[in-house]
Amino acid sequence: MTLLKWQANFRIGIGEVDHEHQDLIELINSLHDALGDERSGERVEAFLGEILADISAHFALEEKVMRDRHYDALAEHKADHERLLDELRDLMDAQAEGAVLDDRRFAAQLAQWFTGHFQTHDARFHRYLAR
Amino acid sequence: MDALKRGLRAVFLRLEAALEAVFGSRHNPLTQLGTLGWFLFWIVTVSGIYVYIFFDTGVTQAWESLDRLSREQWYLGGLMRSLHRYASDALVLVILVHALREFAMDRMRGNRWFPWVTGIPLLWFLYACGITGYWLVWDQLAQYVAVATTEWLDSIGIFAEPIARNFLDSERLSGRFFTLIIYMHIALPLLMLLAMWIHIQRHAHARVNPPRALAVGTLGALVALSFAWPAMSQAPADLDRVPFSLGLDWFYLAVYPLLERLDGSTLWLLLIGGSVLLTLLPWLPPLKKAPAARVDLDNCNGCRRCFADCPFGAITMIARTDGLAYEQEASVDPDMCMSCGICVGACPTATPFRRGGHLSAGIELPDRTVSGLREEVVAAAARISGDARVIVFGCNHDADSDRLADASTAVVRLPCVGMLPPPFVDLVLMRHQADGVLLSGCAGHDCFERLGDQWTEQRIANERDPNLRTRVPRERVAVAWNNPIRHGALDEALTQFRAHLRGLAAGGTTPAPAARPAAWRAKLRELPAAARYTGQGLVYALVVGFVGFFATQPAYTYLAEDHALLKLSFSHAGQPLKPCRRYTHEELTNTKFSERSATSCERGRWPVYVELDLNGEPIYRATHDPAGLWNDGPSAVYARFEVPAGRHRLDARLRDNGADQGFTFTASRMVELKPGTNFVVDFRAAEGGFTFGLPAQDTARQEAP
Repeated sequence: MTLLKWQANFRIGIGEVDHEHQDLIELINSLHDALGDERSGERVEAFLGEILADISAHFALEEKVMRDRHYDALAEHKADHERLLDELRDLMDAQAEGAVLDDRRFAAQLAQWFTGHFQTHDARFHRYLAR
Repeated sequence: MDALKRGLRAVFLRLEAALEAVFGSRHNPLTQLGTLGWFLFWIVTVSGIYVYIFFDTGVTQAWESLDRLSREQWYLGGLMRSLHRYASDALVLVILVHALREFAMDRMRGNRWFPWVTGIPLLWFLYACGITGYWLVWDQLAQYVAVATTEWLDSIGIFAEPIARNFLDSERLSGRFFTLIIYMHIALPLLMLLAMWIHIQRHAHARVNPPRALAVGTLGALVALSFAWPAMSQAPADLDRVPFSLGLDWFYLAVYPLLERLDGSTLWLLLIGGSVLLTLLPWLPPLKKAPAARVDLDNCNGCRRCFADCPFGAITMIARTDGLAYEQEASVDPDMCMSCGICVGACPTATPFRRGGHLSAGIELPDRTVSGLREEVVAAAARISGDARVIVFGCNHDADSDRLADASTAVVRLPCVGMLPPPFVDLVLMRHQADGVLLSGCAGHDCFERLGDQWTEQRIANERDPNLRTRVPRERVAVAWNNPIRHGALDEALTQFRAHLRGLAAGGTTPAPAARPAAWRAKLRELPAAARYTGQGLVYALVVGFVGFFATQPAYTYLAEDHALLKLSFSHAGQPLKPCRRYTHEELTNTKFSERSATSCERGRWPVYVELDLNGEPIYRATHDPAGLWNDGPSAVYARFEVPAGRHRLDARLRDNGADQGFTFTASRMVELKPGTNFVVDFRAAEGGFTFGLPAQDTARQEAP
């Protein structure tokens, strides 16, 4: 099944950013597909590890762009990135300690990030760019 | 070569450890030689500009203007002049020790050849600056420098007429050559600055300023030296006299006395050969280098962190080549990469939370992959047990961290600690692979890979990306930067860290998070403050004492007392090989009008053969070929002889017509040479042949019988 579907309210209205976020969703979905139903702890960990790496890289690039444009709210934005990574890491640590990954809850969490972080923080950055 | 390097390194490391105890690692003068060089250069520049304001550039007024500056304005002008001299001398010292140290530490091999090789022309500029500077004072030392330098330059044989003849006697001295030297003394430092800038081009974040306290101490010590022992001129230059003894600046002029023992051209060969050898040193023998870092485009989105952290400027960001929607990608220049792995530590995808086959970072060292590192860390964690398990991440240049491995300590070695991506610390501590992580690197502020210690500390302190996640307890992360011979300090750091970890386990209070969440550090046994300051004072005093002493001492004996200097020097064109001949009428009518001339002269002259006898003994016999590509220039003669003072008979003979025997000109003279006289035997065909000394010197003034 598809873990996460692109939803209209993920959109922040800037083509290339929306495109990149869609890419990220696709990536997460394909990792999820590859995970399949055979859920050994190791496989789930690898799945989450890949998501962590992808999101970390995505954030690194975004922060670079913000730094280049002298974005005034970089510190807050970066703090929110770190919060998201912390949440993902918490999930991973719980997983390592034997928790079972609940796809539905994980999907809800990811969706929440998209509506929360991407819509508020990313949108604010893109409004800054559009000034 | 290797044994020499090892020996030197042992000396340096011991000295550095001693200085670190006194100055602390950040202000250790031996690890700041490069920045001190820059600082001294600026002192020399500023003081030089000040002195130049009061400097009279005329050849006769130069000495006077400087002497007046030193006496009447001793508190500022004199100070500036002294600073100019002593900072220049200190600059030589600092640069030579800097080069020696980089050699000893092997920081000039392989891809690090660039600063080394570009440093060699810097040495030449440095010496040219110093030599032209001493020239400008126009005292006896300047006179010696002028004569010796021009004689030495003449030995190259590129000047049609010996340029030393500009300084033959007071009659011939012209201000023009002097003006040239002034221009050179301004232009050469500018070129040197350019060379200094090129020298540091391959160093990202090159350090060019010493830490403030060290700068203040250095300036203070030089000012103290300047007041205690002001730089003064020696007696004014007088080209008709030769100084017996000179206060030589051994920092700049140490090779000059060799000119009395070696041929000028031999010394050139030695210096040029030495420079070539130095230039080749980075490849003697070639360095066996680990393969350069490689970018994996599947994992690179062009975030630029590796580019920002590479200490050697080996990474550039280039336009995307794989068609993905990203703007840029990292690209490694293998000819500049030192394989230190600091770029790997910066990559956001280098996280051990990825697993197995998937795990490839955006940038990787082929010999030391992130997935390999992950396996090693997991294996290391499995090896250790106990109540305070520590994983030590060591580097190739630390105080031999491998020694630390025991039942509760595992060691993972990296090329540089800066290679460790912070998520590895996250993994170890948050997944309870160990109770503490100790990062062991080479001496603080003197990382072999330049920036490994700095980036590591900043990543832990949340000051640099990728930072260590804030949730990871900093009190369980320790850093220990130690010079490779300081085994004891590293052992002590581990012991203290383990005690600290046990304290945490026993419910010890966790220190409130500081504004800068810095890593834990061992409390070093420090010398008491009084001892440190005394030690620093002593080091400064020793160094400036050394500088001040060798700036003029020991005196160099140029001419034995009771001797005079006899110079045979002239420039005279030999007779033409064939005399000119008038064109015949017939020849002229056959020549185009525009090409006609009255006479036909073939180029080419006879060489000039010269003999000089002193008291009937031959002291000079030589044939001098004409100068110029067509052998039609004058033949130049320049020779000098040290002779005992007193009455002498001189016989000079010259042949310029290619004959086998007989002479075109001969002259004999009885002369009375006073000690220290510079006596020139010249030849001026227009004035009837040989001349002996200046009229004032020709005390005997009589034809020899």
